[in-house]
Amino acid sequence: MFEITTTDDGVIHLEGRFDAAQVDRARSFFEGITTSHTIDFSKLAYIASAGLGLLFATQKRLVDAGEAFKLTGLNPHIREIFKIAGFDNIFEIE
Amino acid sequence: VTAVSRSFDREIPALDGIFDFVGAFIARHELDERTAFSLNLIVEELFTNFVRHNEGGGEQIVLAIEKNNNTIRIELVDDGVEPFDPDTVAEVPVRAGIDERRPGGLGIHLIRTMVDSLHYDYETENRRLRVSVTKTLEP
Repeated sequence: MFEITTTDDGVIHLEGRFDAAQVDRARSFFEGITTSHTIDFSKLAYIASAGLGLLFATQKRLVDAGEAFKLTGLNPHIREIFKIAGFDNIFEIE
Repeated sequence: VTAVSRSFDREIPALDGIFDFVGAFIARHELDERTAFSLNLIVEELFTNFVRHNEGGGEQIVLAIEKNNNTIRIELVDDGVEPFDPDTVAEVPVRAGIDERRPGGLGIHLIRTMVDSLHYDYETENRRLRVSVTKTLEP
């Protein structure tokens, strides 16, 4: 199961497992994002390189436009993966 | 030694069945959450790399996992494909800023970081590509 929802406060919530089988659906969502948002990871259990690559590409496009994602609620495993990927340099992580 | 093996269709949606298969192995051996996360990720990255990059090949890819004392070994076997040399995949500049970074190469970087050994071999006779990794469990 993987879900993306945006609440009224503009926060994007990821839930479930963000694996390679989910990336096409997620891509159509993230391609529509053009401004800064907080992404809440607190209900995300798992992410692999396909999801990381999509978040990276979106962040790169946003930063070029003077915008950016801020990430919150990463579980310890996902936080470790972000560090291994060097994404602690790429995203502001709370 | 306990080992399990199964064939999966050469397509990304096969990941659902692969996670069920890996999950059953994790449950049977009562592996901790951190190990479970790593094993799922290693298998996903190896499998998706095979699906995306192996040229040729039959309908299915064989995945095997075994536990021998405190070592987990994961192997994927793909018949009828071209050779692959992981050393041709460029290192990811993980300390670089966003301007210098490009997408790609992350999967193999994550695998290299999380395993104790990563080995590819190729049998010319049946054009069989085999990748195996080992991971020592934390005490």
